[in-house]
Amino acid sequence: MSVETTTVSVPEGRPALLLAEYETPGACMKAAEKLRDAGFTKFDTHTPFPVHGMDAAMGMGDSKLGWIVLVMGITGLMTGIALITYTNGIDYPIIVGGKPAISIPAYVPVCFELTILLSAFGAVFGMFGLNQLPRHHHPVFESDRFKAATDDKFFVSVEYADPKFDADRTPELIASTHPNHIEIIEDTES
Amino acid sequence: MSAATTTDKTDYRTVGTGWANAWKIAAGVGALGLAGAGAGFAADAQRFSFSYLFAFFVFLTISIGATFFVLLQHLTNAGWSVTVRRTAEFFMSALPIFALLFLPIVANLDHLLPWWNGDHGATHAPAAAGEHGDAHAPAGTEGQHGDAAHPAPAHGEHGQHVAGHRMSDEQIEHSLHAEVMASKAWYLSKGFFAVRAVIYFLFWTFLALKLFRNSTLQDSTRDLKLTANSQAMAPAATFGLALTTTFAVFDWMMSLLPNWYSTIFGVQLFSTTMVAILSVLVLVSYAMRASGVSGNAITTEHFHDLGKLLFGFNVFWAYISFSQFFLIWYASIPEETVFFHLRWSNGPWKTVSLAILFLHFVVPFALLLSRNTKRYGGQKVLAFAAGLLLTMHVVEMYWEVLPNYAAQRGIGPQTAEALAPHWMDLACLLGVGGVYLAAVFYRMSQHPVVPVGDPRFGRSKRFENT
Repeated sequence: MSVETTTVSVPEGRPALLLAEYETPGACMKAAEKLRDAGFTKFDTHTPFPVHGMDAAMGMGDSKLGWIVLVMGITGLMTGIALITYTNGIDYPIIVGGKPAISIPAYVPVCFELTILLSAFGAVFGMFGLNQLPRHHHPVFESDRFKAATDDKFFVSVEYADPKFDADRTPELIASTHPNHIEIIEDTES
Repeated sequence: MSAATTTDKTDYRTVGTGWANAWKIAAGVGALGLAGAGAGFAADAQRFSFSYLFAFFVFLTISIGATFFVLLQHLTNAGWSVTVRRTAEFFMSALPIFALLFLPIVANLDHLLPWWNGDHGATHAPAAAGEHGDAHAPAGTEGQHGDAAHPAPAHGEHGQHVAGHRMSDEQIEHSLHAEVMASKAWYLSKGFFAVRAVIYFLFWTFLALKLFRNSTLQDSTRDLKLTANSQAMAPAATFGLALTTTFAVFDWMMSLLPNWYSTIFGVQLFSTTMVAILSVLVLVSYAMRASGVSGNAITTEHFHDLGKLLFGFNVFWAYISFSQFFLIWYASIPEETVFFHLRWSNGPWKTVSLAILFLHFVVPFALLLSRNTKRYGGQKVLAFAAGLLLTMHVVEMYWEVLPNYAAQRGIGPQTAEALAPHWMDLACLLGVGGVYLAAVFYRMSQHPVVPVGDPRFGRSKRFENT
């Protein structure tokens, strides 16, 4: 079975991405499973809505974000303890309401808030980092057909930079998953 | 039910499993417990009253929590929780039985509530006043300095009522006490108390039976209007349940120490009910999955979400509990500090307080923080944390009720006798728990363990978190 293949060119560009368009989420997921089983790691799926089971089909492990949040949260906790100990206990000890200068209950609100604050920073900026955001351009947006990814079509993109990528065999592998269409997208950097 | 269908796992009925007979075991344990409690009542009515109130609250909070949980699902039109909602409905459906279980408390109100016979709990005053100052003893010399300075404004205010006289600390305590009690007399009166109790139980009975009937009727009729009806009543019912729960714990728990007040007390008990029912849901779902009675209806995804809610509500519980402590600790006003004076003075109850801090918050927090413990390893860690939280729920209720027993007998919180576990505590726990769980498990033996007629049932089985 041959699949229509077109190339989206940019000036001074070279092939960077193989973009396959599918009609159904099921076909898209099967393609992802095939790429996963062939050992690909630098590929992505683009769907108009979340597709259950796609993470497993793509062979994605659990997100590292939780660990980033944990480290940031503990940092916030330690910062709170250090801040209160220094300001209330060492730099300017003062008795308020008959409580000792270093008084554990008084630590709690500050430590709590700083833990939350830094955890939230860790979650937001960690997510940005893991997703390589902010990013102003991605070669996938060179494709006109790709606009349907927010409407009624399902896409798989494979990067030429993937160690498993082979200019001859990878398009064949993709073609065997019955996409509507395949596009080779060029980019000036990769 | 024919024999052919009872062996079919997709039938979701308990017929032919151990679950079908669980209510008989619970009823037997309950009867033994109540017999023991009855003997205890004959021997020492006051001690019985406190043991019984403790046991009553352990299970009442679970049942109220179940009702909150069910209402929450209807409020939010939740699809994910449909398969675990029925378990909560079983624990909700036995809420009316607490009207009967309340009768031994009615008979012993004079033992429990110091204000009941016009004695405005003055027995607290000597205990509290005599040891005033020790509460901050661990603070060191600076803390004591602050304490000495603190009562000065109180002297000033109350000195005005007895012009020309210098009052002793005890007299001040007493006059302040009488003033607080006089301002509460309209609320803490026998007639109003009785009217309120009747309102609570009527409302709870209506709510539990109505929501349970809507759900179980749907098993056979598949009528969508039943879901619509539950959802339509949910907003008003949530307000009603929040108000009745708040005032019920004001009446039956906070007024054990009638001169004390905490406006956050109702919220604190609400958070307790949610932690209790979510622990129960995790444990019962775990057992149902292990025994196969729930088939494939309760999945890793449901455990993950129950675990997230349990974690969230336990953090909420800690936040509210600390808020109550923190404001009282900072303000250090005698009529507010009396509650923590009984529980945070250097004495046996402080050990219990610290155990609650670590085993109800710190350890479960660490256990439930990770996504992995809620999804992987067969949820063993999640089930362990739920078991720990349920155990600590019992300890927390004990910690809420029993220090008042020592206080009413004039036993100072720094003496070892302030914490004196009694066999009646266990007898009442088994008695009340047995009766309540017999009612819960009886319902369980009569209906499918998941709401098979719910329009979202199929979606709930296939639900995924990602």
